[in-house]
Amino acid sequence: MVDFLIGLFLATLITALFTSRLYRLLFWYSLNSLTLGLLALVIGARLDDRAMLMTGGVTIALKALAIPYVLKVLSRRFGLSRQTPPGIKTQYAIMLVPAILVFTFYLAEPISHMVQGNANYVAISISSLFLSLLLMIEHRNVAPKIVGFLSMENALFLLGTTATRGMPMLVELGIFFDLLMAIVVINLLLYREEAEL
Amino acid sequence: MIGYVSTIVLLLLLAPILLSFIKAVKMWLLYKRPVSLLQGFRDFGKLLRKETVVSEEASAMTRIAPFLVLSPLLVALFYLPPIAKGAYYVSFVDAFTLTGLLALSTFFLMLLGLDSASSFGGMGSSREAFISALVEPAMILTIFSVSMMAGDLGIGQAGVNLAEHFPREHTASFLFAAISFFILLIAENGRIPVDNPETHLELTMVHEAMILDITGVYLALIETAASVKFVIFASLFASLFLPFGMEEAWLPAAMIFVGKLFAVALAVALIEVNTAKLRLFKVPNLLGIAIVFAFLSLITYYVLGA
Repeated sequence: MVDFLIGLFLATLITALFTSRLYRLLFWYSLNSLTLGLLALVIGARLDDRAMLMTGGVTIALKALAIPYVLKVLSRRFGLSRQTPPGIKTQYAIMLVPAILVFTFYLAEPISHMVQGNANYVAISISSLFLSLLLMIEHRNVAPKIVGFLSMENALFLLGTTATRGMPMLVELGIFFDLLMAIVVINLLLYREEAEL
Repeated sequence: MIGYVSTIVLLLLLAPILLSFIKAVKMWLLYKRPVSLLQGFRDFGKLLRKETVVSEEASAMTRIAPFLVLSPLLVALFYLPPIAKGAYYVSFVDAFTLTGLLALSTFFLMLLGLDSASSFGGMGSSREAFISALVEPAMILTIFSVSMMAGDLGIGQAGVNLAEHFPREHTASFLFAAISFFILLIAENGRIPVDNPETHLELTMVHEAMILDITGVYLALIETAASVKFVIFASLFASLFLPFGMEEAWLPAAMIFVGKLFAVALAVALIEVNTAKLRLFKVPNLLGIAIVFAFLSLITYYVLGA
């Protein structure tokens, strides 16, 4: 089950890389966060860790529902362009994505010996970190860059939940507040962009 | 042996029903009155009664090719994985033979399009060649990773192995292979993001352009070939990527299998309603995504073992 969810996590991220529409991108981001939340719930249920169950629930509520909705509302309010063609052509991205995956899978190999539990999760979360970086790089508009930033946060969360036996609740909450701060900053950024236009 | 033969008959009977089902679901979602599920059979009967007209420019190829389009697909039906445990199946045929048979059918379809020397036919053939050339690498990669997970190159044996011990530790790479295969299913059968099977007027059509000047019995054969191709892909998807429900007796297992086929058809119909057709030169991007997922499935299996 955990393997399946992790696969779905990576699959949604890769699909997001090839999307050229903003709302679709938000949809894939929401699905990505949903798999992450479910993953936390499954692992939390297995470890009988109430803190992780709570973080899973908060993740689903906040990242899968609230943040995509807020971003959609914001993008509509500021009249952002809904067409966000990636700066890197799809032909090149098709070669780049497998290259990144192979690179990161081998990169994670030495680390995986240090981690108890399943080492694959480390590799997949590091590769999704790089893929989110690619998502930020390949777009010129602000909105997809924000989604890239948020999915990078998702990748870190995945690393936190799977590599360790559950992060302390306080750290998780700290990350969530960080995220809310980021949304506020994003709001300001969008104001600026509107002012420049 | 009875189970084997009746499975093939069942698949042949289901083939037109599945395509009508897709059409009916689409019409229902678009607030139209859905067509009957038996529409495929009605069309077949109607085409058999119609006069067959062959272009004056056409060579003997037009008379032979419809049979050669259908026959490799009919042969391929015999090599599919069994739908119930203990049923007879052909174990020595590997996935490359199956891909080859499908490609042979496509080859004769392209020849048929070229034969009557109409400009539409040539255009459709060149597009079909373009798409099927791109489908091939992804198909081979997907099949490779599935057969590695199943531990056998033979397609029938792979289906049986997957049903007996599902590779739980390889679920992630299994999922990637499934995504890739589903994209290939859509591309090979000319469903909406790649080709629109319903229009005769669009300049982007692929399959319809090739068979534009085929009539009567020949058209009936080609339409049957299209539906048989869909049922082959759907049943491959059902037995390789949804491997459950085979432990039952033959009848319940067959019911479960038919349910899976209808689920695949439903998924295709939902995608057709929700997406717009891609521009022809954007099709390589979609197939490129299929290649990425197939490759990802392979390397996840190799490097991570997940």
